[in-house]
Amino acid sequence: MPAIPSALRRTPRRTVALTVAVIGVIALAGCAAGGTGGAEVPQVLTYLDAEVPTSAQVQESGTWQTRALQQNVTDRLISRNPETNELEPWIAESWEQSADGLDYTFVIRDGVTYSDGTPLDVNSVKKNLEWQSAGDPDNGVSANGQFPADITVTVDEAAREVHVHLAEPYAPLLNVLSSWSAGLVADATIDAPYEEQTQFINLIGSGPFVVTSETYAQEIVLTRRDGYAWAPQSSENQGEAYLETLTWIPVEEDSVRLGTLTSGEAGAIRYVEPSEEASLSAQGYHVQSKTGVGLSNQWFLRPTTVPLDDLAVRRAVSHAIDREAILEAIYTDNWSAATSPLAPGTDGYVDESAKFAYDPVQAADLLDEAGWTRKDADGYRTKDGERLHLKTYVDVYDNTAKSLFQHVQAQLKDAGIELELDELDYSSYWGTAFADPEVGFLRVGWPHPDSGVGLAEYYSADGSDLLGLDGSDSTLEELLQQQYTLVSPADREAALGRIQDYLIDNAYVLPILNDSQVIVTRPEVEGFAFTDGALPSFYNVKITS
Amino acid sequence: MSNAGYVLRRSLQALIVIAIVYTFTFFILFVLPGDPLENKITNPVNPLPSSTADALRAYYGFDQGPVAQFFAHLGRLFTGDLGFSLVNGRAVSDLIGQALGETIVLAGLALLFTAALSSAVALTAVFAPWRWVREAARGLPVLSISAPSFLVGYLLLAMFSFQFGWVSSIRDQGLASFVLPALTLAFASSGTLSQVLIQGLTGASRQPFVAVLEAKGVSGIGIVLRHILKNGAIPSLTLLALVVGDLLAGAVVVETIFNRHGLGYFTYTSVRDQDTPVIVAIVLLVSVVYIAINLATDLLYVRLDPRIGQSLIRAGTRRRAPRLQQPEAVPA
Repeated sequence: MPAIPSALRRTPRRTVALTVAVIGVIALAGCAAGGTGGAEVPQVLTYLDAEVPTSAQVQESGTWQTRALQQNVTDRLISRNPETNELEPWIAESWEQSADGLDYTFVIRDGVTYSDGTPLDVNSVKKNLEWQSAGDPDNGVSANGQFPADITVTVDEAAREVHVHLAEPYAPLLNVLSSWSAGLVADATIDAPYEEQTQFINLIGSGPFVVTSETYAQEIVLTRRDGYAWAPQSSENQGEAYLETLTWIPVEEDSVRLGTLTSGEAGAIRYVEPSEEASLSAQGYHVQSKTGVGLSNQWFLRPTTVPLDDLAVRRAVSHAIDREAILEAIYTDNWSAATSPLAPGTDGYVDESAKFAYDPVQAADLLDEAGWTRKDADGYRTKDGERLHLKTYVDVYDNTAKSLFQHVQAQLKDAGIELELDELDYSSYWGTAFADPEVGFLRVGWPHPDSGVGLAEYYSADGSDLLGLDGSDSTLEELLQQQYTLVSPADREAALGRIQDYLIDNAYVLPILNDSQVIVTRPEVEGFAFTDGALPSFYNVKITS
Repeated sequence: MSNAGYVLRRSLQALIVIAIVYTFTFFILFVLPGDPLENKITNPVNPLPSSTADALRAYYGFDQGPVAQFFAHLGRLFTGDLGFSLVNGRAVSDLIGQALGETIVLAGLALLFTAALSSAVALTAVFAPWRWVREAARGLPVLSISAPSFLVGYLLLAMFSFQFGWVSSIRDQGLASFVLPALTLAFASSGTLSQVLIQGLTGASRQPFVAVLEAKGVSGIGIVLRHILKNGAIPSLTLLALVVGDLLAGAVVVETIFNRHGLGYFTYTSVRDQDTPVIVAIVLLVSVVYIAINLATDLLYVRLDPRIGQSLIRAGTRRRAPRLQQPEAVPA
């Protein structure tokens, strides 16, 4: 097996950076703005994503780039307005919920069809909900873990109503129905063999774009859906998309993506190095970013590992990190410090930042109290001859992770804490890093349609049990389970607030940054927007001259 | 000349090697840590409940032992079923088909460029009438061996795509799209070949038969093209077979820069994601190609130099030219 040159990993290399800088200057000098002289501007866009979309199978929707495609091809019963973060009618023109939270009635919009011409009616909605909830084990299709497992769906065709009955209350339901993974698909997709469902060409939705061709890992072409007329009410465009075609090309090499954008061959790219943002803005490119609703980027501090089993040490670590200095050094205004395990604007979000503010004096006091009083020759604190040592692995899902982790390592060193940074490849990261008993913390936390489900997936014993507590903290388990059944919004928000308080007060979770998605579009590309989950929406994009 | 018997024996040997490679690859993947299905199940972005995880494991046969899985795979292989990717769920035969079409053109073109480039450099280095030109040509292989492909590829891309716009950096424009990546590959792999060719030609041009031919009144050009090249090319031919291996390895880097998705790309991603069915299929394919090329080289020896051919057929083994160590080109 040939060694993969390090330049292929997603870290900027000096050589490449230098080359890019030199060539970038030459290329930009020769880059003339093209005018079209009043002729009709062709409404076509090429978008370069940083990753290859994986499986189009609806319930999997495991990766950001896959969801981004699904979001533009399928519609959902409910929409979350990305400006206000409120739920709005979409394919469901209205809904009602019983006081006990066991029954929901959705009125389905009239006249909506899938791109294969079949109607998106009450029967189709029923089929989708049952398929999401139960999966199709005989076909290798898993259930959607965000959906309640036990549902009974009945329909009233004349009234265009779908009735959902739950065995027990499930507060996240409406949020889950607005999720990227809750896109409604035609029978043709649901009934297809699993292997066919993994291909985007077989993802038949009712969305503003239709997949018309696909070459795996190379190119996916989306074409405007003729007759599309069922956007959410709050959308300024109520008709068809403006773009005739949207060509979606994965380009994993950063420098190539940027060069292709600046040479005019692509109109939009995802992910640039933060250091490139300012110069692109200055040249008239639109550098846009958004933090989606859900969870912030956070480190769970595992109380089952030494020395993090001591609350004082966990709190000391949380006070030893200076987020503002990190933002200043390696990020831009498109990024922000996390203030809670949840992202700002998420239902139930509480600003917890005062509890883990950067405070080197307090960090030192806490470590003194905990008995880590001596310092060794390298300046690290020791106790009973043991060095204060933590171990983590550099996150593989985020492009800026390496420099972020190195900054944290330096800041912890100032506090007398040694942080060992190890690296793993993409495929073995999750399995290996979490099974490693020495690991004190790892980074998790991304947008999520329902923050309660997101937190429970991470921290409950039934979920990933990231803290390794195995249910031994009964208060935490109770808080995480309780929020599922609190159907009154006020009660649920209060419960989510208690979870955030508990996670921070016990220094179980250390919020780092809010997750930012950055997309750069050329000056002539107007109307690009992010969804509530920070996925790209091309529905309102126009190409101006 | 029992050529037919020799070919048959060699082909059987090749088949045995392929079977061993396949088996070895399959089991080594079980020993390696990490499991794509587990990664899918425990994906932090989208964890699956254990009930569905069990259904998935059963679906892929991951609930059986490695030996049972091996024979299940083998049985399917003989019916032409290569299975499905664990990462994206697509049929492996589709992915490999897509990659193969891409790589055959790329490698073929790169091989052509490699042969042309190294012949030109070697002929210049040995027979150019001016000393400084010969010296310069001798220095070229060192440069091409030590220049990282990544940089060479990017420079070509920046110049011809971003700057002049002659060829797209992302779209497939048929043969034109292959020129730059093939050049990048050829630049890297021609270095070793040029050096061997230079040595071979230098050696051959000092052979006594050259003097005999000159005495016979054969023209200089004729001697070089018909006799010296033929004699000096034998070690290079051995090396050319090895170059194919280098091209496949180099394709991993080059395909990334030029956004191509051939075998190099699929090798890199499937190994990175531990996508067992894809890795096994690629290893099978590459070993078949590699062994077929070696077989073809052996048969070509017989044509080029009857002495080698006779000894090969008698011995049933083949002499290998020592492979030169090539430093891994890693950008600093």
